[in-house]
Amino acid sequence: MKPPLGAPPPLRDVQVWTIGAITGVEADADSRAVERFVTAGPRLSAAERFDIYRSGYHARLLECLLDDYPVLAAVLDRDDDGQFAALCRAYVDRHPSASPNLNAFGRHMASFCREAKLAAFPGFAARSSFASDLAALEWALVEVLHAETAPPLDIAALQAMPPESWTSARFIRSDALRLLRFEYPVNAVFIANRIDEVVPDVPPPSPNAVAVYRRDMQLWRMDLTPAMLGVLEPLVDGKSLGEALETVEAECTDPEVLAQTGANLMVWFREWVQAGFFTRVVLG
Amino acid sequence: MNRNRFSLPNLGIGLGLRTVHYAHILEHAPAVDWFEILSENYMQTKGRPLHFLDRVAERYPIAMHGVSLSIGGTDPLDRAYLAELKALRDRTKALWVSDHLCWTGVAGKNTHDLLPLPYTEESLRNVVSRVKQVQDVLGAPLALENPSTYVEYAGNTMKEWDFLAALASEADCALLLDVNNVYVSAYNHGFEPAEYFAAIPFDRVVQLHVSGHTNHGTHIVDTHIGPVIDPVWELLGEAYRKTGSSILLEWDAEIPSFEETHADALRAKEFITTAEPK
Repeated sequence: MKPPLGAPPPLRDVQVWTIGAITGVEADADSRAVERFVTAGPRLSAAERFDIYRSGYHARLLECLLDDYPVLAAVLDRDDDGQFAALCRAYVDRHPSASPNLNAFGRHMASFCREAKLAAFPGFAARSSFASDLAALEWALVEVLHAETAPPLDIAALQAMPPESWTSARFIRSDALRLLRFEYPVNAVFIANRIDEVVPDVPPPSPNAVAVYRRDMQLWRMDLTPAMLGVLEPLVDGKSLGEALETVEAECTDPEVLAQTGANLMVWFREWVQAGFFTRVVLG
Repeated sequence: MNRNRFSLPNLGIGLGLRTVHYAHILEHAPAVDWFEILSENYMQTKGRPLHFLDRVAERYPIAMHGVSLSIGGTDPLDRAYLAELKALRDRTKALWVSDHLCWTGVAGKNTHDLLPLPYTEESLRNVVSRVKQVQDVLGAPLALENPSTYVEYAGNTMKEWDFLAALASEADCALLLDVNNVYVSAYNHGFEPAEYFAAIPFDRVVQLHVSGHTNHGTHIVDTHIGPVIDPVWELLGEAYRKTGSSILLEWDAEIPSFEETHADALRAKEFITTAEPK
C-alpha cells in the first residue's frame, strides 16, 4: 500500500499499514516502506524508530504469557533456553489479541501446545503433550483467579440437613473450581518447580486428576484419586449425591475404588466443603 | 488548591496501585493520599482483583487510568468495553477516568501498545467525535494523557501539543499531563519541553503523571522503571505551579517495596513546595 503524494494518507490506511508492519504480517515493512509513513529522528532512522514498536509487540505479549505460564516457561527453558519464547512467538502469530483486555489472551495455550511446530526446537514435538497438560493446569489457575466470588457452603448447613435428604441433595459448585484430568503428573512437576527440584525433561505418563480452586482468595491444587473423582465429577456436573453414587457403582469395575468410596465418602465430602467446592445445597 | 475548569479536587500525591503491594496496603493502611488503578486490571474479571480493589477503594480515593480505549482508532468504539468501564467507575466511585491520546489496534487486532496518532485534521475530527461519545457514556469528563512516542508520521500537519490543545477545546475534555512523557518525546523527537508547555491549556489539566524511564542514548523508552530523574521532577514542579493538580507516580516494572515506591513519590514535595500554584 502506498500513500498518495501530497495530502496526508487516509487515517485508516495509515493504521492498517502500521498494524501490519508491527505484527509482522505486512510484507511491505522494509525500511523504504517505513520511510514512506514515518520520519527519521535526531539520532535514529525511521526504520530504527519503528522497530521500537515492532520489538515491543512480541515482548509485551510474551510478558503476558510468562505471567500466566511461569512453570511451563521454566520447564521448556530448562535445557533449551529460548524455547518458551519461540512457543509464545508462534502463539502470538496464531492467536493475536483481538480484545481490549489481556486477561484471557493465553486461553488457547494448552491446545496450541499440541499443534505447535517450533522449527528451531525440533525436540518440542516429543514434549508437546506434557507441555499441553502443564499449560492446562496453569490456565485453570488463571481462570480460578478471575472466577466469580461467592460465599462457600456453610458446613453447619450440611449438619442441619435431615439424613433422609442427603441422597437427593444437589450441591451447587463454586465458579472458582476446576476439575482436570491429565496424562502426565503435572501437579507434581508444578510443586517440584516451586521448590527448585530438578524436573525431568518429560516425566513418564501417569494418568491423574487435580482440582484447582480458590479459597479465601488463595489459589490451591488438590490431587484427586480415581475414587474421589468418581464421586466429585458427577456432583459438580449437577447430579444429586444419590445419582453420583449410582454412577460410581455402575461405572466402576475396581473393587478397591468402590471400597475406598464407601469408607471415605464423608471425610472427602467434609474436605471438599471446607475447601469451598460448593456454594449451596438444593434439597429434593 | 486546584485550578482546573472541571472543579476536580487536588487529591495530593498518589501511587499506582500494583498487585505486589496489595498485602502491604491492606495490612498497614499506609498514609497515601490516593491510588490510581489500571482500569483493565479490574475488567473481564469477577474474582480476586476486584476483591482487593474493593478493600482499597473503601479506604482511599481512586482514579481510573486505562490503556485500551483506543480513542484514536478507526474501528468502531467498543461498546462492551465502555459499559464495563462505566460499571467499574460506579463500583469504585473513581473521581475521574483517564486514558491516552493514542490508538492500540485496528481491524480487530490489538497490539496492547499506545501507538502514536498521525496529527492531521482527519485524525483530530475522529478523536473529537469519539471523545464526545465516550463522555456521553461515562457521564463525566474523560481525561486524555499525552503519550510518549518513538516515531512521528510523515503526514503530520500539526504538532502534538497543538493537536492536544485543539482536541481538548473541541471535545471539551480534561487532560492528564504526563511530564515524563513530555521529556521522553522531547528527547526522541528533538523539541524543547517548553514548546509543549507553551501550548497546553493548563486549566484542563486535572492530573499530573511522573515516572522513571530508560535512556538508551539514541532514544528514551517510557518504561516506568526506576526513580524519577531531576529534570523530570523540575517539569513536574513547573506543571504543578500552573495547575495545582493531583500528582501520581507510576512504577510498572522491577517494582520495589511499597515504602521505597512511596518515598520516591513523596520526592514530589521537594519540587512542588517551591512551586505552589499562584
